[in-house]
Amino acid sequence: MPETREQTTEQEQLDPSLESQPRKRITSHGALALPRVLAERRSNEKPMSSEPIFEVKDLTVAYGGKPAIEDISFDIGRKRITSLIGPSGCGKSTMIRCFNRMNDLIPAASVSGAIVYHGQDLYGPGVDPVEVRKLIGMVFQKPNPFPKSIYDNIAFGPRVIGMKGSMDGIVERALRRAALWDEVKDRLKENAYSLSGGQQQRLCIARCLAVEPDVILMDEPCSALDPIATARIEDLMLELKDQYSIVIVTHNMQQAARVSDMTAVLMPDVRDGDRAVGRIVEYADTGSIFTNPESKRTEDYVTGRVG
Amino acid sequence: MAQVRVEFHEQLRELEDEVISTADLTTTMLDQAIEAVTTNDAELARIVIDGDDRVDGRYLDSHQGILGLLARQAPVASDLRLVAALLHTIVHIERIGDLCVNIAKLVYFIPESPPGSEEIFTRVDKAAQQARDQISQAQIAFRDRNLELAEDLVKQDDIIDRLNREVFNAAIDIGGSIPETREWAAHMMLIARYIERIGDHTVDIGEQIAFVISGQFREFTDASAPDNLPGPAR
Repeated sequence: MPETREQTTEQEQLDPSLESQPRKRITSHGALALPRVLAERRSNEKPMSSEPIFEVKDLTVAYGGKPAIEDISFDIGRKRITSLIGPSGCGKSTMIRCFNRMNDLIPAASVSGAIVYHGQDLYGPGVDPVEVRKLIGMVFQKPNPFPKSIYDNIAFGPRVIGMKGSMDGIVERALRRAALWDEVKDRLKENAYSLSGGQQQRLCIARCLAVEPDVILMDEPCSALDPIATARIEDLMLELKDQYSIVIVTHNMQQAARVSDMTAVLMPDVRDGDRAVGRIVEYADTGSIFTNPESKRTEDYVTGRVG
Repeated sequence: MAQVRVEFHEQLRELEDEVISTADLTTTMLDQAIEAVTTNDAELARIVIDGDDRVDGRYLDSHQGILGLLARQAPVASDLRLVAALLHTIVHIERIGDLCVNIAKLVYFIPESPPGSEEIFTRVDKAAQQARDQISQAQIAFRDRNLELAEDLVKQDDIIDRLNREVFNAAIDIGGSIPETREWAAHMMLIARYIERIGDHTVDIGEQIAFVISGQFREFTDASAPDNLPGPAR
């Protein structure tokens, strides 16, 4: 696997304003118009089970011209938790990073195909990746708070994008939503590093929620946490799905089984000797994947016979 | 420490409710089957037979739910014991439903009641009432995790066993030389036997309840080596 896939710095991941590519402006005919998306989200309609938040169409991502994932087509359900699972090198991290254009930060990466989000192709002309990342937030493997106070960690994003309203209210709302408020309300001025690992990860989720995203991407969010902290994050995910669409990459199959509504199984096909190209071998409701998968490759992977 | 895995525990509670409440369907079926037999009501018998589809549907749903929970939530300790017990319990309840159907089906074959049938009917009715009470007792013991109530099912079941033997003896006595009467008596023996089996299923559910509570599985009675067998018949 090319090393470049994992080479984004923490600071780049954290701050949408640190976009390394030249920004494109949002066109007047409204590619990814933020107000419209938020208005739709707040209309609070109960989504139909089949309603997609993302429609992935013939997506191929290549690094230096060599595809890492190829011809991926599937829909991600709105207000659902969708897991991407598969062995190392199957391209699941590449896949999840496409949803908020994080692969743009890798100079050698190229993306073809489309990801349709609220009727707009995220990779269409005129779409600003920074706008994309406001609406489609991300939480990473290792909790990565800023070396600032708990309060300032949450307030950072809203300040950068100039959110209106009381900052205290924004901070409290985000911390409550991330089930952290009761634990930190009396120590908001303390450094975020004083929190436990599990609390730090919930702080990162709160930071993501503070800018009012539409979708939350989680790349191995619990791999550095103990089982109880993991269970709290999982409970939080189940609570958050009332309001947000969540996509999670996890190496922990049981985690996918526990929390997700839908599961996509990616598998690497080896080509040209040792080069692996990831494809989806099965995408179904999580119950089917773990009790009666259709694909032999899924069966072998979830039962631990390969992978 | 705050409780975690809230949704999983909620799912487990719902699954337990689904399994235990399925027994309500079987108590209704038992009441109707016995009424159908004693009043020779073929229409009511048909309702019982058709009603078993609901029990079978609940069985399939519960089975699927239990498999899903095992596959997705990897329950451990008391949660694992509960899931395993629910898997056994829903099978017992499904079998109780089948036995009610067996009773109801006999309505189509039982000849007219002979003189002196009331005494046997009374015992059959008592046994059915006892079986019904045992199903309810098992439900309460399960919901309340009441070990004493679960273990008491063995004692309660002795009542059905006694009534079963009494029906058997009375049926032999009433048999006589008239073929229809003998046939009627044989059917009463079968019905008493089916009720006796229902009682056994409630005891088995009691064993599962004890397993959930104590973590130790033990049979309340050793059916393969009973200590009250008479000597050889001949």
